[in-house]
Amino acid sequence: MRKILVVEDEDLLRESYLTILSTEPYDVEVAKNGQEALEKCKKKVFDLILLDLMMPVLSGVSFLERFENTGATKIIILSNLSSGEDLEKALQLGAQENIVKASLSPRELLSKVRYEIMQ
Amino acid sequence: MTNTAAETPLSNLRSKHTATLEELDRYKLVVEAVEDYAIFMLDAKGYIQTWNKGAQKNKGYKPEEIIGKHFSIFYRKEDKDAKKPERELELATQIGRVEDEDWRVRKDGSEFWANVVITALRDEEGKLVGFAKVTRDLTERKKNEDTLRSNNAVLIKQQKDLQALNISKDEFISLASHQLRTPATAIKQLLGMATQGFLGEVEPRLLDIIQRAYEANERQIRIVDNLLRVALLDAGKVVLRKKSINLPEYLADIVTEHAGSIVKRNQVIELKISKSAPGFISIDADHLRMAIGNLIDNASKYSHEDSKIVLKASANKKDCVIAVRDAGVGIQPGEHQVLFTKFSRVQNELSDKVGGSGLGLYWVKRVVKMHGGKVDISSNKGPGSTFFIKLPLEEIRA
Repeated sequence: MRKILVVEDEDLLRESYLTILSTEPYDVEVAKNGQEALEKCKKKVFDLILLDLMMPVLSGVSFLERFENTGATKIIILSNLSSGEDLEKALQLGAQENIVKASLSPRELLSKVRYEIMQ
Repeated sequence: MTNTAAETPLSNLRSKHTATLEELDRYKLVVEAVEDYAIFMLDAKGYIQTWNKGAQKNKGYKPEEIIGKHFSIFYRKEDKDAKKPERELELATQIGRVEDEDWRVRKDGSEFWANVVITALRDEEGKLVGFAKVTRDLTERKKNEDTLRSNNAVLIKQQKDLQALNISKDEFISLASHQLRTPATAIKQLLGMATQGFLGEVEPRLLDIIQRAYEANERQIRIVDNLLRVALLDAGKVVLRKKSINLPEYLADIVTEHAGSIVKRNQVIELKISKSAPGFISIDADHLRMAIGNLIDNASKYSHEDSKIVLKASANKKDCVIAVRDAGVGIQPGEHQVLFTKFSRVQNELSDKVGGSGLGLYWVKRVVKMHGGKVDISSNKGPGSTFFIKLPLEEIRA
């Protein structure tokens, strides 16, 4: 089963993403911030991480600076930024692309994840 | 004493310039008649020898009250105490001429801002015989200058205050937009889950309400996005990142992106690439995509069902022209300019239904301007409008 980690500080969004992604046969886990995400990544190699950028405790960019990716994990930024320094840094640090979360409906999110997991 | 002393320098001048007596009398008459300048003579020690009409008017003394008095009478007490009158005479003696602008005192004790020139007068042997003193009352000018200076200081302060205010406004909008966007995004996911079947079957009446809430939420997100974008732009935080793109492919992508919402309104969109259009151009692809998208959105929203929208690329000698044409409600020429100002919305039969922030076209105009281009419109009340994005070929050469 494909393993997905959602890193999002906003409770409602985190729970929504969990509900949406759990309708498919994925192993979905969630983390509240970069710190929690790092801990989860120590225990498991995820196929896909959906990563928010602006988070307390440890931001998305700081997570990427610390995360040791063997190349097995695909990282997609799911933020509300369409441009800016943080986003550019994140893309330089190995994130593959950025999705503005306000632009995605649940169905669009699901088909995007499906597409990325199959790639 | 006064007359002889007063005439000494004149008689010297006469011999120097071989002027006739009549000529000198004429000069004397002219000087005496001048009203705008106080012109008078001092002896070598600074005692007043002559007094013209201007002096009387300016300082308030009649000739009989002042001739024979020391000229320091015109100076303020602190200047007298500091021996300024004596210093000025000394300096004039040494270098021939002294000019000063400062406060002087009239007979009635009032002060005026004076321009004073003291010139040393010498006889043929070079011996100092006295001084000519010309005084002008510049109080009005001084007052105007002072007012200007203080107004200027006020303006500078106001400008600084406005700049600070503008920065905090931009920060506020930016912060508020970010804060508003987070819950709005959460609402979108929650409502979307209900309308898109993630929560099982929903009763049709309820589904309809949720669907409408979802659409309102999408509009809300768009408005917040526009606010944020404009705030960043106004704060100078938007920097263009130009790269070379294939124009026909780029426009085809944009058409595909918008096809969904256009088809939903039973409209069609057509892409035309004129032979004159450049194949590659160098632009900020993301920002212009949003600008062109904004024009397409407007074209669709302000058109009725079953109408056609045309996106066309062409070029003339100067510009690459990207045009969006619709067969919509049209815009009166008188309203063209206001369209591009912030928070402006033009009223028409569809405007209430469409909703909007009044920021879209302002943003389009600014982004196009950052590319060195401009946005034009051709429209009348009645069917159809065309918006043109004109990008100077020189600025976007790939």
